[in-house]
Amino acid sequence: MAETNDLKYADVHRDVVRSIVETGPRYYVALAIAFGITLLCFFFPWFYQLYYGIGAAGMNHPGVWGTYLASFIFWIGLSHSGTLLSCVLHLTNSTWRKAMYRSAEAMTLFSLMVAATMVMVHLGRPWFIHWALPYPNQMEMWPNFRSPLLFDVMAITTYLTGSSIFIYMGSIPDFAAVRDRTSGWRNHMYSLLSLGWRGTDKEWHRLHWAYTFLAVLIIPLAVSVHSIVSWDFAMSIVPALHQTIFAPYFVVGAIYSGTAGIVTVMFVLRKYMNFEQYITEVHFNNLGKLLLLLSLIWTYINVVELFTGWYSGTSTEHEALKYKLFGYYALLYWEMIAFCAVAPLLCIFKRFRTSLVPMLILSIMINIGMYTERFLIVGTSLSRQYLPDAWGLYVPSLVEISILLGSLALFVTLFLLFVKIFPSVSMYEVKETMDTPKTEPVAPSEGSPA
Amino acid sequence: MTNIAVGVFHGPESALVAAGTLKGAGFATLELMSPIPIEGVEEVLGERKSVIKHFTFFGGLIGGISGFLLAAGTAVLWAHPTGGRPIITIPPFLIITYELTILFGILFTVLGFFISARLPAIRERVYVPESAVDKFVVTVACDNDEDFKRAEAILRDAGVEQVRELAEEG
Repeated sequence: MAETNDLKYADVHRDVVRSIVETGPRYYVALAIAFGITLLCFFFPWFYQLYYGIGAAGMNHPGVWGTYLASFIFWIGLSHSGTLLSCVLHLTNSTWRKAMYRSAEAMTLFSLMVAATMVMVHLGRPWFIHWALPYPNQMEMWPNFRSPLLFDVMAITTYLTGSSIFIYMGSIPDFAAVRDRTSGWRNHMYSLLSLGWRGTDKEWHRLHWAYTFLAVLIIPLAVSVHSIVSWDFAMSIVPALHQTIFAPYFVVGAIYSGTAGIVTVMFVLRKYMNFEQYITEVHFNNLGKLLLLLSLIWTYINVVELFTGWYSGTSTEHEALKYKLFGYYALLYWEMIAFCAVAPLLCIFKRFRTSLVPMLILSIMINIGMYTERFLIVGTSLSRQYLPDAWGLYVPSLVEISILLGSLALFVTLFLLFVKIFPSVSMYEVKETMDTPKTEPVAPSEGSPA
Repeated sequence: MTNIAVGVFHGPESALVAAGTLKGAGFATLELMSPIPIEGVEEVLGERKSVIKHFTFFGGLIGGISGFLLAAGTAVLWAHPTGGRPIITIPPFLIITYELTILFGILFTVLGFFISARLPAIRERVYVPESAVDKFVVTVACDNDEDFKRAEAILRDAGVEQVRELAEEG
């Protein structure tokens, strides 16, 4: 790649190791703030809710699904582009993936962790979470495998396991490289993590195949995960939810918000970890094109959803549509359309795609829009079902809003810890994109065999 | 005692030339260490075959069978008749089967990688830390001093930067 041509292998090594071992005061301040907000806005309200009961949240009949589940879908969605995009770009040999995929995969991992925590928060009695797992127990209670909720448990467990393994496997050579340049506890940690990797031709060969097989397995897995999340809703007979288009709608939405998330993370890494030479305008340009394509598909699915609802001619679907477009939450709907369908059209222009700050703003707008989409699906559908006398309104309580903000801080905290443990740019893959060093010719030695 | 000749190269091409010549000269125990995977290794050192794909396949198979048995077994042992529908309901159980196929496929792939790449390393092995940064290293096991000299000459001819001698119990 042209942008790394003036760099040497040792420069890459030095820069990435520096990003791990050299920590300035700004990092500690950021970590302290993120951790403080996590404690204050996430764990404290959660304990409050556990102590006083689930009534502390704004959920009540008929709106028994609230922002916790919207956040769950949002975080699962955000997790989608990291590993999925990395796998697709790995299999298609895209070189521009190499500088950014490690952080994108980390985003997947931490989003999934936050998503799993949101389920715990929604449960009310999270200490019974193990009841959803199939294991022999004295109550003779086994989960019902016909329920989409159980599909969810299996899919997310598999995805979390697969994503963790995928990011770890890809990092083994880099752990070994960092191991040799560190001392003390860091050296012990990287010695353990690198498993004695030496970079022999045999090890590279095995890693290549294992990594490729994992990529092949993870792509269909990622598609299945968000399809299954959509079935939590689409398999019910609630108006506006019971639609066949929900699985592709969720998958596209997930990849869309995940790609926007990658743009945000890339911007922050580039600016604050000094990776300007590795994360370049090329990455933003390519991600911008991807965002444009995804926004068009997402818009198309939204139009189809409206059209089929209208064409069904059923009064419940018409009512749900009317409520969505002009009802109590209509402002949120139009905000979502403006942020996710209209604003990304700016990505048509190359000048916009290669302007970093506007791309950052767009990526944040898209994710606000995508959160709104999830809120509208989850929070408003149950409150407006078949019988008008059972209609209600759902408005999130302060505890719920605080936990939503806290979940963001939790994600940031985990990510900040990640950048000091994992090499956030894949050293060996960036080196692969550079020209290999040439050997200067030497005179043959005396007595060499003919 | 077996001596190991270690040749440290600046670039991959010369390391590959050295490895190919050493192989042609009858040195059987050869290793290349590099900061990146080197293209064209198989043409020089011979095609490498990996057993990982078998692990992935059988892992997936075991996962699929266990997934279906888990869901179907649970349904049969704790029967929950719903509106006269079958106890073993194929469509939802296929989803559990699908997920566990992938889960076990992933886990067995990792197992296959560890076994075939001989990781984690239990005992200490020859390693040159520069090879993780920017050097390309060829290591070759030599049975005696004469072999070592021959190997050293081949390495020097290929343009080695530095030759080192390591002793290994053997």
